[in-house]
Amino acid sequence: MAIAVPKAADARIDRLERIWAERPGVMGWLTTVDHKRIGLMFLFTSLAFFAAGGVEALLIRTQLLQPNGTVLGPNGFNEAMTMHGVTMIFLFVVPISIGAFGNYLVPMMIGARDMAFPRLNAFSFWVFLAAGIFMYVGVFSGNAPTAGWFDYVPLAENTYSPGPGIDFYALGLIFTGVSSTATAVNLIVTIFKLRAPGMSINRMPLFCFAFLAVAFALVFALPALTCALVLLEFDRLLGFHFYDIAAGGDTILWQNLFWIFGHPEVYIIILPAFGIATSIIPTFVRRRMVAFPMVALAEILVAFIGFGVWAHHMFAVGLSQVTNIYFAAASLIIVIPSGIQLFAWITTIVTGTPRFKTPLLWIVGFIVLFIIGGLSGITFAAIPFDQQLTDTYYVVAHFHYVIFGAAVFPILGGLYYWFPKVTGRMYFERWGQASFWVSFAGMNLTFFPMHIVGLLGMPRRQYTYPSDLGWTGYNIIESIGAYLLAAGLLMVVANLIVSSFRGEAAGRDPFGGATLEWATSSPPPAYNYAVIPKVSSPYPMWDAEDRDEDVANLASGRMVLEQGHETPASTAVDADWDEILDMPSSSPWPVVLAVAISGIFAFVLLKQWIAAGVFVVATLVVLAAWHGKEPQRA
Amino acid sequence: MKKWGWGITLGALLLSGCGKQSPLEPQSPASHDIAVLWWWMLGIAAVVFFGAVALLAIGWVRRDRPGLPFIGENEGVTTGLVVTFGMVIPVIVLVALFAVSDLWLVKRTGAPDPGTTSMTIRVIGHQWFWEVRYPGTRAVTANEIHIPARTRVQVIATTADVIHSFWVPQLNRKIDMIPGNENRVLLYADNPGIYRGQCAEFCGLQHAHMAMKVFAEPRKRFQGWLKDQEERAVTPATPEEREGRQLFLQNACAGCHTIRGTSAQGSIGPDLTHVASRSTLAAVTLPNTNHALERWIRDPQHVKPGTKMPALDLSNTDFAAIGSYLDHLR
Amino acid sequence: MSDVTRSMEATTADATARVVRQRRTFASGWWGMALLIATEFTLFASLIASYFYLRFQNDQWPPAGIEDPSLALPLALTGILVLTTVPMFGAVAAGRAGHRWRAWMLVALAMVVQGAYLGLQIWLFADDMNSFSPSATAYGSIYFTLLGVHHVHVAVGLALDLWLLGALAFGLTNYRFLALRVIALYWYFVAFIGVAVVITQIYPSL
Repeated sequence: MAIAVPKAADARIDRLERIWAERPGVMGWLTTVDHKRIGLMFLFTSLAFFAAGGVEALLIRTQLLQPNGTVLGPNGFNEAMTMHGVTMIFLFVVPISIGAFGNYLVPMMIGARDMAFPRLNAFSFWVFLAAGIFMYVGVFSGNAPTAGWFDYVPLAENTYSPGPGIDFYALGLIFTGVSSTATAVNLIVTIFKLRAPGMSINRMPLFCFAFLAVAFALVFALPALTCALVLLEFDRLLGFHFYDIAAGGDTILWQNLFWIFGHPEVYIIILPAFGIATSIIPTFVRRRMVAFPMVALAEILVAFIGFGVWAHHMFAVGLSQVTNIYFAAASLIIVIPSGIQLFAWITTIVTGTPRFKTPLLWIVGFIVLFIIGGLSGITFAAIPFDQQLTDTYYVVAHFHYVIFGAAVFPILGGLYYWFPKVTGRMYFERWGQASFWVSFAGMNLTFFPMHIVGLLGMPRRQYTYPSDLGWTGYNIIESIGAYLLAAGLLMVVANLIVSSFRGEAAGRDPFGGATLEWATSSPPPAYNYAVIPKVSSPYPMWDAEDRDEDVANLASGRMVLEQGHETPASTAVDADWDEILDMPSSSPWPVVLAVAISGIFAFVLLKQWIAAGVFVVATLVVLAAWHGKEPQRA
Repeated sequence: MKKWGWGITLGALLLSGCGKQSPLEPQSPASHDIAVLWWWMLGIAAVVFFGAVALLAIGWVRRDRPGLPFIGENEGVTTGLVVTFGMVIPVIVLVALFAVSDLWLVKRTGAPDPGTTSMTIRVIGHQWFWEVRYPGTRAVTANEIHIPARTRVQVIATTADVIHSFWVPQLNRKIDMIPGNENRVLLYADNPGIYRGQCAEFCGLQHAHMAMKVFAEPRKRFQGWLKDQEERAVTPATPEEREGRQLFLQNACAGCHTIRGTSAQGSIGPDLTHVASRSTLAAVTLPNTNHALERWIRDPQHVKPGTKMPALDLSNTDFAAIGSYLDHLR
Repeated sequence: MSDVTRSMEATTADATARVVRQRRTFASGWWGMALLIATEFTLFASLIASYFYLRFQNDQWPPAGIEDPSLALPLALTGILVLTTVPMFGAVAAGRAGHRWRAWMLVALAMVVQGAYLGLQIWLFADDMNSFSPSATAYGSIYFTLLGVHHVHVAVGLALDLWLLGALAFGLTNYRFLALRVIALYWYFVAFIGVAVVITQIYPSL
């Protein structure tokens, strides 16, 4: 269903091209506010951190290949173990989900030309990059944190972890939190205000429901972490006593604050993957999603209920029986919306006519792995069982199945799925399928035995283990699996790199996708859509009449919005057209502001309060300059 | 003497790798109940998993035909299936799981009610060893807990520094050791035997080497052991041992360790009054042999990097003397 | 399409007033501020929850040697802060009707009072520091942190006021009216949090 471009429309497209043209060269990238460019910058940066986290994982698995290994000493292991968790969660999976997939695709799926706050979007990327560099400066200067990704006190206090390692951790995470909060706010406002007129809430793609839920979860979860980290840094840098029982503080305060953030965080990790899955499935099974409203509601409920279960990470702490029982009940309740989604996906696949191409393979793999991870999670809601198996490799198995299997597999499937849209070329299909199978085998070989070795009593986070407890064989298999998994992931990367140079031209819509991004060219023009699309259902590409109307509109000029950097704003629920917004073009202020804020964090770490204060003033000045440029039409 | 014979037997058993740490080899009612719960949950999980895989396989087999097998395309039926298998059946299974594990079993694995135990032991976690005290007696030891078999023993778990977690899987679930809190867990061994435990909350550099052994023994043997542990340290018999004690008391050793009956009253490291009666050293990192002991005190950072025990600048003969003194402290 | 606003065309006070009347939805900027407020609200909720958590972990609160907090001055100051929401509200109404200078004056009035509030609060803060220290007890730590974080939010509000006065001096556009609106929203939030914080602060004396 090609969109033929009548001659009358050529002039309009030329005008749009001129209005939306980007500055050339490096300056263009430093000052860009285009959501697609920002999405790509997030993508490459998070993939670089994925590689770093992967190296940390391979170091761990090589050390644990045999008992009493000598690859890493205890301090090196603790650094690798801590940074593996921190990097994978905060510098890879969340940024790639909301920063790459969210930024690139949400505006396209709702028929908009950019995010609601394009400069804030750019700022969010530069802060992410700065925060990642900040933390790795710590690593490369020999000051990596060593108290694990959840950094329990008193171990994380000065007495037991002197030196700047934990400060890099705490300040680094507050810093990444700024980026994630900015992206979350941007996603919410974009989804509420910038949907194409006619895309009422019930016609919004499930991908956007998932990202809306994630964004709200981030808004309400991150401040609890920020609070925990600020209190920790006050203890460490200023000698306060929040967590110090000798002076009236409390050790468990940290755990409560951390997990009030930490549990919603795992739903933040997985919900975008649900969104990706619900985009890929209808396309490849050529059928609308079964029970669409239930799936949409389930996505939102998961985010919401996720705030009420945090103390299931603390069943061994010695909280009261009643407390434990309440949290176990809530943890069981949250299984239900996940179960509904799982069953809806499976039923859609069974009742459709699936073509098992690479993207769908990753999603089927995801479904299998999510079921395993979900089942092991359910066993943890049995409090006595949790109290035996928490802090063993059984829980390491569980969370890798849900994080790697259920969040990363859809991300990899999504990379393949949208690769043609972003690059205009097709990936190599056979190679893609092979990369899936190798990764799937590697994933299971690495993490399945961990269930068993945990059940045989092997605790987690230990840099070595004795040879006489029956754990050695499983560890060998796990380490081999890790190398196989790394090979599979390298195959994915290699496939995408080579395909971006040698792949066939993909055209606008190689898969017959249902959502709006497939309506425009591959890669999309800077303005996304020459005509703001007409929408009557969540599967706009399958509504031929609406797409025909777009063609007519392009000729007549209706909904072309070519008087500036324009995109429509509509009402939050019904998407009645209310306003035409004028969006910023390029701006240097986002990257400058990110630098100013980096100065604050760097000097606080160094305990140079005056210098930090100077950068606070600089931040305020830059903010004023940013807001001095108003979106008035020239 | 009989007691030392028992110690040697245990040492031999240790070197053969006795003392498992598996929750799936329960040796107490609590661990047994948890293990049974596990097998039931595994069974149900397997049914769910293979059921889902079967459905996906059906999707693959029928990939050219839309709709459900036999029924064809029917939105009402498919939605009904989602509700039944995605909501109704899970609710039933989860409610059952909740009732069994979180309303009933949890009572059997919780902290013992006051007055329902015959004995209390205090275990204090340190970086990276376990201090073990027997309230009401003078007995203090480290890394090795003796209890009478088939007796309800209450462990009061606390910490001297960071969070640790007391865990002997064959006997019960783990309980965290939190600064300022006194958590309690029941130890009850169905049979005499040796049960291995390990710290189960990341506590720093040598978390990997913070294990312990629980010896459940017949009551008489336990009482004999306890009485011996209450005694003050044996006086050295040979000149080398006397030299060793002298070196111990004059150097940094006495600043960290206690040997009851001497002037060594340090409280940073483990109590060494009866160190030679234990089956292992350095929290189950080394066997308790003369050679291992000497290796440990001569170069602690090589055995357990990050340990707080410093390497002392003494000669080989000095270390041998200290070693033979400590080796004598049964 | 004729009833769709092109808000960037509103570069005068009258045009702004027209655009504001026409718009049916909350502007993007309003949503952005509302969500920022949601995050800050959650931050304060975490801090206040931490205060009460620590309170219930301690038998004596405040600990021995620290006086119970005074009631009168903190409550009075908070009352004044809450009152400054009135001129802010008035400024928004004036801006909505296109009255630029009236809006400017009301913001200036609010700012002066808010500045005096902050000055007095800082004086009280320093005075408290002379009696007890945040690095001596958990009570001190949470007391000074909770108050300090609130004072930082007030200081940020003053910076926003300053920017607003500068911007409004040059004219009333749709953008600047929006700024006025969201800065007022920010102050309503800060005042609300002020009440929550002062209640927490004086709680041991209640």
